[in-house]
Amino acid sequence: MTAIRTRWHHSILARAGLILLGVLLLFGAVTVAINLHYNRARAEQATELRLSQLLDTVESTASIACFTRDDVLAGELIAGLLRNSEVLSVVVEADGVPLADSSRQATDAAAAVTPDSRVLVRDIYSPFSPQTPVGRVLLTPNQALIDQELRQETRILMLQMAMQLLLVALAFAAATLLLIIRPIKAISDRLHGMDATRGERLQVPAGHRGSEIGLLVADVNRLADRLVRTLEDERALRIQREIDEQRYHAIFENADTGLFQIDHQGLLSSWNPAFARLMGLSSETRPERELALLDLDWHDPQPLAELLSDCRNTGGNPRRDSGAQDTPRTQSAELRHTHPDGVERWLSVVLTPITDRSVQGVLHDVTHHLEAEQSARRLAVTDRITGMANQLGLEQRLRALIQASDPEAEPPRPERAIALVLISLDNFKRLSSGLDPAIGDALLTETARRLSSGIEGANLIARVGENQFALLMADPAPALEIERMLEQVFADAQQPVFIAGAPLTLTLSGGIAFHTGTVANPVATLFQHADLALASAQAGPGGPICFFDPDLARLAQERHQLETDLRHAIRDGQFVPFFQPLVDLQRGALVGAEVLIRWQHPQRGLVPPNAFIPLAEETGLINDMGRWILESAGRQLAAWQHAGRDLYLSVNVSAHQIPKGLTPDALHELAQRLGFAPASLALEITESILISDVDGAQAWLDAVRARGFRVFLDDFGTGYSSLSYLKRFTVDRLKIDQGFIRDLATNAGDRALVEAVTAIADSFGMQVVAEGVEDAEHVRRLRAMGCHYGQGYFFSPPVPLDAFSEVGRRIPELMQPFLDAAPGSNPEPAS
Amino acid sequence: MERRTGAHLLLAIVLAIGVGAARAAEPVLVVMDPASGLDRLTREQVINIFLGRFRRLPNAQAAVPIDRSRDEALMTDFYRLLVDKSPAEIRAYWARLVFSGKTEPPQKAHDLDDMIERLANTPGAVAYIRPDELSERLRVVLGLGLGLGPEPGR
Repeated sequence: MTAIRTRWHHSILARAGLILLGVLLLFGAVTVAINLHYNRARAEQATELRLSQLLDTVESTASIACFTRDDVLAGELIAGLLRNSEVLSVVVEADGVPLADSSRQATDAAAAVTPDSRVLVRDIYSPFSPQTPVGRVLLTPNQALIDQELRQETRILMLQMAMQLLLVALAFAAATLLLIIRPIKAISDRLHGMDATRGERLQVPAGHRGSEIGLLVADVNRLADRLVRTLEDERALRIQREIDEQRYHAIFENADTGLFQIDHQGLLSSWNPAFARLMGLSSETRPERELALLDLDWHDPQPLAELLSDCRNTGGNPRRDSGAQDTPRTQSAELRHTHPDGVERWLSVVLTPITDRSVQGVLHDVTHHLEAEQSARRLAVTDRITGMANQLGLEQRLRALIQASDPEAEPPRPERAIALVLISLDNFKRLSSGLDPAIGDALLTETARRLSSGIEGANLIARVGENQFALLMADPAPALEIERMLEQVFADAQQPVFIAGAPLTLTLSGGIAFHTGTVANPVATLFQHADLALASAQAGPGGPICFFDPDLARLAQERHQLETDLRHAIRDGQFVPFFQPLVDLQRGALVGAEVLIRWQHPQRGLVPPNAFIPLAEETGLINDMGRWILESAGRQLAAWQHAGRDLYLSVNVSAHQIPKGLTPDALHELAQRLGFAPASLALEITESILISDVDGAQAWLDAVRARGFRVFLDDFGTGYSSLSYLKRFTVDRLKIDQGFIRDLATNAGDRALVEAVTAIADSFGMQVVAEGVEDAEHVRRLRAMGCHYGQGYFFSPPVPLDAFSEVGRRIPELMQPFLDAAPGSNPEPAS
Repeated sequence: MERRTGAHLLLAIVLAIGVGAARAAEPVLVVMDPASGLDRLTREQVINIFLGRFRRLPNAQAAVPIDRSRDEALMTDFYRLLVDKSPAEIRAYWARLVFSGKTEPPQKAHDLDDMIERLANTPGAVAYIRPDELSERLRVVLGLGLGLGPEPGR
């Protein structure tokens, strides 16, 4: 590329030169003009001065001439003056009258006397009296000469100036050429041929390292650096973009999910093969025809259209300043689509707006997914074994029914009665525990079938528990009909089921509850009521089918409250041990006491044990209570033993505490820790213990006795015990239930019984305690029968510890009369 | 002749006074022939006559000035008192005028008698004497340096 040449009149030198020339010329002209003006004035002044001096020289002669009015002299004088080239004309006047005059010959027009020529006037005075004027000399200067001289001078000056200016201009031109033009030209030439990308840069012209040109060169080089860098960055970006585009393209083409783009009109602008496959587009429809997304065989294009407009409205405008609000919002939905091959599928469509008002979309087949979801949902509410609905399904249906009949809904719905029946297969667990699980399942299935076929008018039958079914009835028949129907169904279901040859018979019970209008938690409440009804049916005496009684709820509530109170009592120590003295009937002495737990309820006061013991046993709180009682008893025993008193204490032990709630080791540890002799602690158990858990009880019994503790059998004669148990279980004492003692005086049968028991006990080496000794007669008779110990109101009711010592002290005097009487004497004849 | 005597007396007094001053010009009298018909000339007229400005007597007669060329002192005093110029200056003056030919310098009288004779013979002749040279053949027309009137050069 050739260097660009500038036109000569564009070049710096020419322009600057021209400017300079112009300025200089102007300056020169101005100077010359000024000079001219001043010079003229000066010249004129100088001329005037000279002429004045000239006049001075002739003054004396002029004065003589004028004095004597000598015109010749005056003429001579004038002639003399005129010899001076600066004089144009002279006039000598004497006394106002011209004496002589003359003027120079006019050689050119300028020499003519112009009206405004300056005339020098010199007054001439008498030579002999200087104050007396005698005449005048009027001298007209030769303007022409002055002008000529002036012109001459001006010419010279102009020439001089021109020379100077020329020199200056030349110097300037030279300097500019050297310092500016040449370096710039050099730079320009180099720039043309320079390839910045190859690293070529400008060189600083010699001598310009610190000058503006040098700085310019440095800046240009820096710019070149920056540009080259930018270029490289751009290139890198471009390469990256190409890579990304290739990647995108690969993904686009090979993706399994359908990808597509639609423009602002809703027409498909691009789509990938997967999309074509899903939507059944043939490859021929590649960009020739315009396809609108909405036109593709959707089952219902409306939601899609809405989706599209939502998508467009929310975002994609990059020019707005507010950030977060306008981030593109992706919209998605699942829509049904009919493929050209006839198959209906569910397709998930996800739309995202992109900046230029287009929309990007992802499409994939979710048919299986949805079906799986639906199936899962169905499974969630279905019982696996029977195929009926499960608890979840039932609750859903129940909730729906309740909502559908809510009079307070908007719009109000007519109130319908809803009933829930809970059916329990009471013995199922027991039956199936020893069987193959498959047999259990078969049993359930068969029972389910029988129930389903037998029940009429049920909205839904469900299996809600391992051995529980439930019926949901909307607008149920009257209660009586329900009951009858259920009885029929139960009868059918309770027929033996033959599985693997063996007959299995179930027992059923049912609880029925009705949905009442406005409760906080209708579903839970209904279940709760039905549950209570069922429990009542199972536990109570009246029939296998029970309707919910509001009292049941109340009772349940009370029970719950009691249980809570009981827990608090245990935690807060609201229990108090009461002691009922045990008296040796033969010797008439206090030998010990039965420790009975009493509950000081903060609100209810002293709560009797039969109000809370059964609940404690059911809830397992009995263990804590038992431990507490034993602790108190043990401490008291230790205190007595420390004081040297030989008394024992007996503590009631519930069947529920055996064998795990009160281990022999724990007892042993207790005795060790509190420091009392094990023999002084007796544990009272009832016969029922021995019946229910025979082996465990026996082991416990033996272990406890092995540790040195004593065991009494309480309420003897009231349970299902057989006499053989006495043989099997070794206890230390029998306590005859008060029922036998009460009518001792009047009932011979009781007497015989007591006697007999006493005799049996004796033979086994056991002692007997009579419970419920109420009067002296009892004492006498018991003594006569040989009964060893007694306990009852005659001696004292159960009292707190502080009262016990007092009570205990009175025992001897109470018994004294009996001891005084002959042993074995019987005031009344046996009848 | 009473007047002349008075003038003489006055002259004497003034002279006496004037003796003490720095050497001033001694008085000079400007005279004419008694037959001239004039008995008075003004100073200016005398100047005009003697210096060639206007050689006419008040009676329109042409005036002829006469110098006492040999009496240097007298000439000196005369011109000194008249125009306060030295004889050299007067000579220089006349040098220029002679050149043009328009005016002639005053005639030159050798001595007093010559002067008197010229006065008698030349109508309109005017000369000057010392006061002690005065006789009845002369008429004084102007007195210079007598202490009367303004001195020249003031």
